[in-house]
Amino acid sequence: MRRAFGAMLLVAAALAQVTWAPRLEVGGAFPNLVLLAVVAVTWTLGARSGLVWACVGGVLLDLTAPGPIGPHALAILPGVYVISFWIRNLEHPNALHVALSAALTTALYSASLVLTDNLVGMPVPSFGVAAQLAFAAAVYNALLMPIAIELVRRLQTLVRLGPQPT
Amino acid sequence: MYGARAQSRSTGLFLFLCAAMLLLAMASQQPWAAGARGAAKSALAPVEGAMTSLAAQVDRLTSVFGDVSSLRAENQRLRAADEQLRRQIVELNAAAKENASLRQALNFQKASGHRLVAAQIIGRGPDSFSRTMQIDRGTADGVQPGMVVATGAGLLGRVREAGPHAAIVQTLGDPQSRVNVYLSKSNLQGTVSGGPASLAMEIQHTLGVTASNGEWALTSGVGGGYPRGLVVGEIASVTHRESSTSDEAQIAWVNDPANLTFVLVITDFLPS
Repeated sequence: MRRAFGAMLLVAAALAQVTWAPRLEVGGAFPNLVLLAVVAVTWTLGARSGLVWACVGGVLLDLTAPGPIGPHALAILPGVYVISFWIRNLEHPNALHVALSAALTTALYSASLVLTDNLVGMPVPSFGVAAQLAFAAAVYNALLMPIAIELVRRLQTLVRLGPQPT
Repeated sequence: MYGARAQSRSTGLFLFLCAAMLLLAMASQQPWAAGARGAAKSALAPVEGAMTSLAAQVDRLTSVFGDVSSLRAENQRLRAADEQLRRQIVELNAAAKENASLRQALNFQKASGHRLVAAQIIGRGPDSFSRTMQIDRGTADGVQPGMVVATGAGLLGRVREAGPHAAIVQTLGDPQSRVNVYLSKSNLQGTVSGGPASLAMEIQHTLGVTASNGEWALTSGVGGGYPRGLVVGEIASVTHRESSTSDEAQIAWVNDPANLTFVLVITDFLPS
């Protein structure tokens, strides 16, 4: 039940990201719904779940992007790993923490994606363009993160995914 | 509040998954995996198509609701009738827009003399770095990587990769996109490159000739990447650089990818 629900959540997020999210473009960036879902899952269910769902979400994104399958999954993983340290060392995370974690994950995702694309021989944008887009996306995702985590938390309660967050 | 403490560092899992994804990326890039990769990517295409249709319907509904809310304040008595009429207008406008787009595409097909395959846009790229679109036609319909994609208005981009029933198109808005063009009046040559905000053109200097606003940029065919004569856009502004061998111009692209629903794949031209 829990796995099926997680998979459905990520499939919905991935499909919405390639059909709806580009309509919300601001400053060349649009929200990364899969990344937001994965960060929300990491904060609510823990790092190990976050890492596994990062792979699932990333592969779904790779299926809608040009090039090999794997770069998006590889790009989301470092951010989730960093959040695992954050979670462990924080007693009571608040909305600011999760927003900052989304911004950091987005920055790591962008850097990792450009590096991985470069590594596998895919074309990559210039540093200036990439930095501009990454910054805009980080701000965008950070603003949406508190809403996303609240949504995931409510959905978790609704389907009794697991233990309630303390 | 949101806390769920991690029980372990998860470093082992992280390293294992990174290695697995890296291997998957390298393996799926190999020529022998191209078929499986294309098939996997095509599998999501029908769902994407359905989601895109749903998004369009929601857009229509929201525009109807927006109109109704303004009418409520204006005239309570006529609200119900207005709502119905407005919905019909929105639906008719949407149908007329689609008809115009298809008619334009038909005219383009007749005028261009190329063999074309019409395709519907079913999705966009998942990140901001690559400006791509997914279309509902693939190798089963004669679409191959490298083929040029246009609309009735002009050039849109190029097929990057194709699966059996879907393909991914790299648009001119992609930061990596480059197309050689010439200008309609001055005949100056240059290269148009993509960017997050607009298309930029590097215009090569020619003694005594300058580019001006309002000139049309068309594909020159130089380099063999695109057929000659496809409209790219209109010069919106030119920055003259005396100390350089080229000028820079901003191009108003004839296509607005955000509002496109249909595209045409030119199937009888492949880049040399």
